[in-house]
Amino acid sequence: MPKLPSLFDSFDNLDQILPEDIASFLKPVPQLTQLEDYLANRILYPQVIPQTAFDMQIDLSILREALKMNGPKSGMDKNNALLGSNPFLNIILRKLLIPAKFLNFVPNLAQLTQVFIDALLSDRKKEDWFEDLWTIVLTDDTDEIVGSIILTQFDGSGGVMELSVLNRNYQIRQGSMMVISCPKDRCEISYKLKGGHVLGKTESAIEVYGGKLGVMVDGRGL
Amino acid sequence: MKYFAPVRIRIEKDVVALVTRVLRGKGTLNVNVGQQVSPEEIIGTGEVTSGFRTLNLSTLLSVAPEQVEKFLIKQIGQRIYQGELMAYRKGGLFTPKKQITSPTDGILDFFNNKTGELKISLAPRKADLPAGVYGIVEMVDNSRGQVMIRTQVSRIYGICGSGRSRDGILHILGKKDELVPKNMIQNKFDGQILVGGSLFFKDTISASISAGVSGIITGGINATDYKGMAGGRLSFPKKLDNDIGISIIVCEGFGSIPLGDDIFDELKEHEGRFVFIDGNKTVVNLPSPVSSSLIKVKSTGISMQQTNDFVSGNPAEQVLQLSVGMKVRVVGNYYLAAQGKLLAMDDSPTLLPSGIKTCLATVETASKKIQVPVANLEVMM
Repeated sequence: MPKLPSLFDSFDNLDQILPEDIASFLKPVPQLTQLEDYLANRILYPQVIPQTAFDMQIDLSILREALKMNGPKSGMDKNNALLGSNPFLNIILRKLLIPAKFLNFVPNLAQLTQVFIDALLSDRKKEDWFEDLWTIVLTDDTDEIVGSIILTQFDGSGGVMELSVLNRNYQIRQGSMMVISCPKDRCEISYKLKGGHVLGKTESAIEVYGGKLGVMVDGRGL
Repeated sequence: MKYFAPVRIRIEKDVVALVTRVLRGKGTLNVNVGQQVSPEEIIGTGEVTSGFRTLNLSTLLSVAPEQVEKFLIKQIGQRIYQGELMAYRKGGLFTPKKQITSPTDGILDFFNNKTGELKISLAPRKADLPAGVYGIVEMVDNSRGQVMIRTQVSRIYGICGSGRSRDGILHILGKKDELVPKNMIQNKFDGQILVGGSLFFKDTISASISAGVSGIITGGINATDYKGMAGGRLSFPKKLDNDIGISIIVCEGFGSIPLGDDIFDELKEHEGRFVFIDGNKTVVNLPSPVSSSLIKVKSTGISMQQTNDFVSGNPAEQVLQLSVGMKVRVVGNYYLAAQGKLLAMDDSPTLLPSGIKTCLATVETASKKIQVPVANLEVMM
């Protein structure tokens, strides 16, 4: 039977998402009954695309919860250490895997990546310092690296990260997020932190993957 | 540019189908395979038990449970009438005599000598089973009290539903876009199939069950209420059959959504007539009210394979290339369930406020022309 593509066709447990969880990322917060009906209609009519910016926010919120439910479960990493143990996160290779077809429904790659970070990386207990750095891959018939994620560890004292990429300087404050354009395959970055660290250091220079998204620096973590 | 959309079968007109008539309770069927029947014809008679009543005779007689049986006037299994003496205990020096009469007509069904409780099954009443349709008897199952009749129906397919096969007189409650509150449900709707507007509330569904309503056909329903009826899951098509004492068919989706013009108009034509509803198969069968339909019924055979195909209740889903002039239905969040004629499709994409670039389609509904993304359309069949 032919089937039209949809954002959520990778998930068969959308009905297990609680409307309260969808609402937690929305402003203004709609009535929970409305959200539950919206979700049910998205399951019923999966091919539908959102028309308004707010509908897009609801879809992203649903996607965030769906990824959380279908992401790697804590404590399972060691048992499932085979490469590709989860379709959205390769922990061994530290890759965030975003299906390229999702861009047909969420064209803003930065927004889409943020949803993946929120769902799969933000609350993840880090095994080592190397989990501060992830590569973003668009998966399709052929995979495409589109950039890197740096998860900054601030100590809660209102820290600042100073970053230099392609001879340009940037400042990322605690609690903020920034996408830095770096279309090259490899990007040299030097950084210096006050009140935090990245890869276990307060000051260093590293080389990361670039691409059409660039380098996403997430300073929201503590 | 080519655009594709899913096809949704909403109404099938004048198809020959099998409908099942079931005796209420145990009884006898008096038709044979191949027999021609008309709607008023009684094809069987059953006995309906109306429940039971329990009395604690130990308490009423003021004796120990194991002693109750010797005070019973009637034996277990015997019929008893309201006011008739059921148990008697002589008075003694310090105890008054006790006379227990039956509170209802019934049969002394069971006595529990550990608790002293007596169960009286209420007297059964006769219930005739009319054929309900013009048709030919296809199968008679005396053991299950079922008759399958080949008949001509118009068939409405819902989006989702719950409840086993039921039947009753179709009653339209009001406008197709009205919310249906609890106070609209009356006791006189017992055994009927109600056609609502855009939303039946949970309280309304509960009131309908209490009033003995057989079925509900509605445009929309709240997802929470549907989950409550469908085993807590939202999967389409549903994997398991459910029944909460009423059959419900949702024709448009979740939330408050008016019934589509196509379905509402078809139902209006059958108001006051006998119809069949099957919530688990999400289908309503509207039998033809004219005897001339027998001509088609007689000349059209129906195989068990066709019957089995229908069991899923999910008409063949397919995808069709959209073309101007097609009858379409909107399934997006805006104008949900609006239906009309596809007037045009843009050649170049438009940037939507959501950030998605897509081509828009112009649809002419009964009241206005609307523009929606082509991805948010279904082809109506």
